[in-house]
Amino acid sequence: MFAFMDTPPILPEQASEFSKEYDVLFWYIMGVCALGSAVVYSLLIYCCFVFAKKEGVAPKRILGSNKLEFIWTIIPLFFFLSFFVWGARLYDVAINPPPESADREYTVVGKQWMWKVQHPTGHREINEITLQEGVAVRITGTSEDVIHDFGIPAFRSKFDVVPGRYTSAWYKPIKVGSYHLFCDQYCGFAHSQMVGKVNVLSQEDYASFLEGIYRVRDGKNPVDGSPAWEGRKLFLKLQCLGCHNKESESRAPTLEGIYKTKRALQGGTTVVADDTYLRNSIRNPMLQVRDGWKPIMPAYTRNQVTEEELLNVISYLKSLKPGDLPSRTEMNPVPVGAPNVDTSAPPAQPSTTPKPGGQP
Amino acid sequence: MATAAIETTKLDYTPQMLPEQEVSFEKNPEKLHYLNHQTGLLSWLLTVDHKRIGLMYLVSVSVFFLFGGIAAGLVRTNLITPTGAILELDQYNKAFTAHGTIMLFLFLIPVIPGVLGNFLVPMMIGAKDMAFPKLNLASYYVWVAGALFFVWQLMVGGLDTGWTLYPPYSSKYSHTSVMYAGLGIFITGFSSILTGINIIATVHKMRCPGMTWGRLPLFIWAIYATSVIQLLGTPVIAVTVAMLAVERMTGTGIFDPNIGGDPILFQHMFWFYSHPAVYIMILPGMGVINEVLTCFSRKNIFGYKAVAWSSVGIAVVGFLVWGHHMFLAGQGYYLAMVFALLTMLVAVPSAIKVFNWTATLYGGSITFQAPMLFAIGFIILFTIGGVTGLFLGTLGTDIHLHDTYFIVAHFHYVMVGGMMFAWMAGLHFWWPKITGKTYSDFWSRLAAIVMMVGLALTFAPLFVVGYLGMPRRYPNYPPEFQIYNVLSTVAAYVQGIGYMMPIFYLGASLFFGKAAGNNPYKATGLEWQTSSPPPPHNFESTPQVYFGPYEYAVADGLKIVPLNDGKIHDIHHVDPDFVSINAPAGKEATHGS
Repeated sequence: MFAFMDTPPILPEQASEFSKEYDVLFWYIMGVCALGSAVVYSLLIYCCFVFAKKEGVAPKRILGSNKLEFIWTIIPLFFFLSFFVWGARLYDVAINPPPESADREYTVVGKQWMWKVQHPTGHREINEITLQEGVAVRITGTSEDVIHDFGIPAFRSKFDVVPGRYTSAWYKPIKVGSYHLFCDQYCGFAHSQMVGKVNVLSQEDYASFLEGIYRVRDGKNPVDGSPAWEGRKLFLKLQCLGCHNKESESRAPTLEGIYKTKRALQGGTTVVADDTYLRNSIRNPMLQVRDGWKPIMPAYTRNQVTEEELLNVISYLKSLKPGDLPSRTEMNPVPVGAPNVDTSAPPAQPSTTPKPGGQP
Repeated sequence: MATAAIETTKLDYTPQMLPEQEVSFEKNPEKLHYLNHQTGLLSWLLTVDHKRIGLMYLVSVSVFFLFGGIAAGLVRTNLITPTGAILELDQYNKAFTAHGTIMLFLFLIPVIPGVLGNFLVPMMIGAKDMAFPKLNLASYYVWVAGALFFVWQLMVGGLDTGWTLYPPYSSKYSHTSVMYAGLGIFITGFSSILTGINIIATVHKMRCPGMTWGRLPLFIWAIYATSVIQLLGTPVIAVTVAMLAVERMTGTGIFDPNIGGDPILFQHMFWFYSHPAVYIMILPGMGVINEVLTCFSRKNIFGYKAVAWSSVGIAVVGFLVWGHHMFLAGQGYYLAMVFALLTMLVAVPSAIKVFNWTATLYGGSITFQAPMLFAIGFIILFTIGGVTGLFLGTLGTDIHLHDTYFIVAHFHYVMVGGMMFAWMAGLHFWWPKITGKTYSDFWSRLAAIVMMVGLALTFAPLFVVGYLGMPRRYPNYPPEFQIYNVLSTVAAYVQGIGYMMPIFYLGASLFFGKAAGNNPYKATGLEWQTSSPPPPHNFESTPQVYFGPYEYAVADGLKIVPLNDGKIHDIHHVDPDFVSINAPAGKEATHGS
């Protein structure tokens, strides 16, 4: 029960260039304030002990001292102004992105209660933002409904996203890792669940992320906009899930985590499930049938799945890790007319019937 | 008067007025005072006596403090686990909104002006009552009506917008009683304005002979500055809430950008009132501290003028810094610069006050009864609250700390550590005057220590967790922040026990307390020169003031010598030829004159 006591963090991580500059000012103010408070507390303690009531000692009649008051007006004022000047400079840094970030502009749209991020390459993420280490990017945000705030503590960065206007910030991550993303402006019911992750990747990982096969966390879906994402959509559309699912009555092998593994075939041979094997299994499934399964997989010709689409589907299959396959729900229905459809369901119109009046 | 030199009798303090006959409570047990000269419920409900109205405020704000405290307990208990221990998400949102709105609008804003301001302002300036006694009563009823309506709405519909009420969430998306709760705030605002007018008029017109502006107790200066803010600021929040209501009701585009409004406009208008409002909350507290520190250290305040003018300075400059709540809302770089600079300037008077208070203790003869412990606690906690404000007023550092628990910890150190402790100091200080009874010395001191320790430990972990980035208003949070939240919650319970304690020992004092006597602390203020509890019209005869407010240090009293023109001159007109005081030579010349 006391697992939470394991080494709680004391200081926030410094994961961006700005965070280092920020912390210097933070600790400068902290130093000055600690010193100032120490002076006040020392005087307070001194007075409380030395001037505690003693018999026969009369209090002094002191009305003030312009000199002292001048001193303790000017000294705080000097430090306060130093905070102001330094703080204004830091603020200037925070709101003015460096020129090299000009062509790398992310966008973020907040809505109750999620973040929709789009990369300059067109990739989309939900509640995540993936960045490359050492590369400065700028980000512009707005909101669909109420005011939110896109805050990343590890970057010491935060900006309100306001409906009806654009606000912006910039980041230059310097440390690979995964950091918190918070909504900092109260936005209603699930405000505290409008959170996400900031993933800072190395150059290689970021490249594989853009290809769509790098998954930064245990999320079940490939990132929006990637080839694997497109493949996933086809996978659902072509009703592959009708047979390749994890339920007991499934009639085809599950496809999770098979890439580059050995598969047993009928006839006692094995094959490594590489790209070619996956392609063949779709274009010409009778060529290599898995041991223990009936040869019922239909062949998908180029008319049904184009080469480009096939590449996307294979990308998706390559990305599948154990537990990634969606379960069959209303969103992923079984194929109409499939033999294992629940008999209680009313017979549906066969989808293969050409609809009058044109192409689907 | 001018016939002969008046010499004060031997006292170990010098009151602002010269003592006439000693009126002792013990000697005159049957004496009529404001509590017993009329009886019956109606004599309370229809009273125009400022002291009785003050007591009615005391009961009301205590009840609302209880409500706000229960909400705080729910919030802190819920935060024990990272996924929320007891409340659903919407319940949590309503709980923290109830805590914030009740504590701000129904406790912190009215508590010291309503209770101590009402009770003490006429007494301290030697008046029979407020300038407008009936307006005073009306102001109470307006406030109570608005407050009850507001709390009723919190119970039946709830409010989940936070006390800041930012649109378009509040104007369109919230499904709670924004309209009616806003109406409650609107109504209580009228009470604020009426009370402000009353106090300003009272201080201007009702001062007794000899009570010059330079002899006003600093509590009066602070309340006066507060009243000016209330008078000028409250109409703005009323208009803002009204505009919000119009948008919510009719769909007129004022704040919602989808129908042509501007959400930042609301923030400007809201903070134009609500930033000065934090000074409405803290200035009266600073006023109380002046009275308590001087009395228990037997000293003049160090730098009367600096402290008085810093109250006024805070009130004026406080109106010009509202934009520092909006550094990240996209208000523009140069605007942010101006607000940040003015913020640094408004921090200076507060710093001056802290140094002056500390210097006041120097050379004193300090005793540590409960009011003094609360006042020292105030200085300790308010200093932390003040310096952490500098992180937030600095443009660059505000970026990361804005809307995190750092800011929550900051304003709780100021509001609870500052205002709550000042309120406790004031309540304990004037309790013998208000009720005529003394309370338990031991339990009151213990309560002060329990509250101080509880408060410091409640909010210290939140500074850390705020710097780590935990946003405010989060019922769910990453598990690595749990340890800090658990520490904070445990300390909050300690704090809660501290707040319960005065109910018992102050309540017990009403029934079992010894008679306090007129002036148990031998304080110099006019309010102490009359009987305890005071007579219905405060003084048997109109007092005449000869001295500044804090002449504690003159053990043998002041010798007052009439000038040739027949007027009596006091030590404020320092002239060694005419005034002799038994104080170290030369010291009196340092008084700014």
